[in-house]
Amino acid sequence: MAPTILYTACVGSAIALYLLLRPAPGSIKVVAVLLGLAAIGWVVKEAARAGEPGEAPVLIFYLFGLITVAAAVRMITHHRPIYAALYFVMVVLSSAGLFLLLEAEFMAFALVIVYAGAILITYLFVLMLARQVENPGEQMMQPEYDRLPREPAAAVMVGFMLLGVLGDMVLGGVGELPPSPSRLQQRLAAVEKLNLLPRRVEAAVRAELGRQTEALVLVDGDGRRVHLAGETVYVNVDGPGGIQQVTLPEDALPENIEVVGLALISDFPVSLELAGVILLMAMFGAVVLAQRQIELSDQEKQAAANAEAKAAQERGR
Amino acid sequence: MTVAQATTISGHALGHYLLLSAVLFVIGVVGFTTRRNMIVMFLCTELIFQAAAIAMIAFGRFHADVSGQVFVIFILTVAAAEAALALGLVVLLYRRKETLNAEAWSELGET
Repeated sequence: MAPTILYTACVGSAIALYLLLRPAPGSIKVVAVLLGLAAIGWVVKEAARAGEPGEAPVLIFYLFGLITVAAAVRMITHHRPIYAALYFVMVVLSSAGLFLLLEAEFMAFALVIVYAGAILITYLFVLMLARQVENPGEQMMQPEYDRLPREPAAAVMVGFMLLGVLGDMVLGGVGELPPSPSRLQQRLAAVEKLNLLPRRVEAAVRAELGRQTEALVLVDGDGRRVHLAGETVYVNVDGPGGIQQVTLPEDALPENIEVVGLALISDFPVSLELAGVILLMAMFGAVVLAQRQIELSDQEKQAAANAEAKAAQERGR
Repeated sequence: MTVAQATTISGHALGHYLLLSAVLFVIGVVGFTTRRNMIVMFLCTELIFQAAAIAMIAFGRFHADVSGQVFVIFILTVAAAEAALALGLVVLLYRRKETLNAEAWSELGET
């Protein structure tokens, strides 16, 4: 895709976002939305034409992507903070859909639970604590700082210049990446992971041979249990009938979430501990910040001191 | 589905995901600079985190490596910590001036 196409689309969508940010009558907003959609559609069409057939992402990607971008734009243009937070939930849900497309199932659900379930609820609570508009439905009642953007022209210009550069770099760079690992390499990596999970191997062997069999999985000199020959995954087993090869079924290989957990504790143990420390410190910080200092009048202080003295007397007696 | 059955994406598809991530990032930046409500400004930083997470997961899928997903776990951690602290600060600031307008604080100091 030629960079000029990307830059033109950036200019078009920058104008659209600028018009959406400023307070304007509905007809202008409709024009802005159409302009933005046209810019996105043009880039998508050109990008689809640039790739080989069969390389493009599935159709659902475009659907989720469009929902994500539209909800994000609505989030930064909506006058009411509560609706902005709810549109962010929509962004989170549709990007969880994208994660599912990328076969990162655990992260998709973690995103929905942690982001949409926990963080956004915190945001909504704080928004509710802040002052509400007396007359819902009347936009003019919104405070001025929610209605009028600050320097929309400069912000949009800088942002979309950044997008132009980033997009140009991305489109030029992805062609020069090393090829992604082949199916065999992925299989080999999965077998390596399985080598680290002896109990899983034993369970799979027991399931293959029948529960009552007393079988011992043999370990190679270099610590390997599981071997790969062509497409079949097998282990050597010392059982009642002598040493034999047992082919493991396909689902004995670890799943995505198991590999993530293994990587988390074997490759990034210090980062995991640090994440725990960060969470603990954030909790302390939030508790310290949010506690309310109760100010007592002199009279109340006197009363409290009297009550304390009286209690001390009682105890002394 | 086991990791060996998962399909990697092509470099071309990776470009699509990265472009989407860049668009989300830029929308987050524009929102952060234009909105004047402190809470919405912090929401926009969450949008930027979200963009980073999409890029990480797409790269992870391209390289058939789970490190990308592990990093997203850390992004979630940092986002949760940031939300707790930032919202604590916002509540504190709101009690002082009874407004969420970030420009009310353009001159810092005791008032």
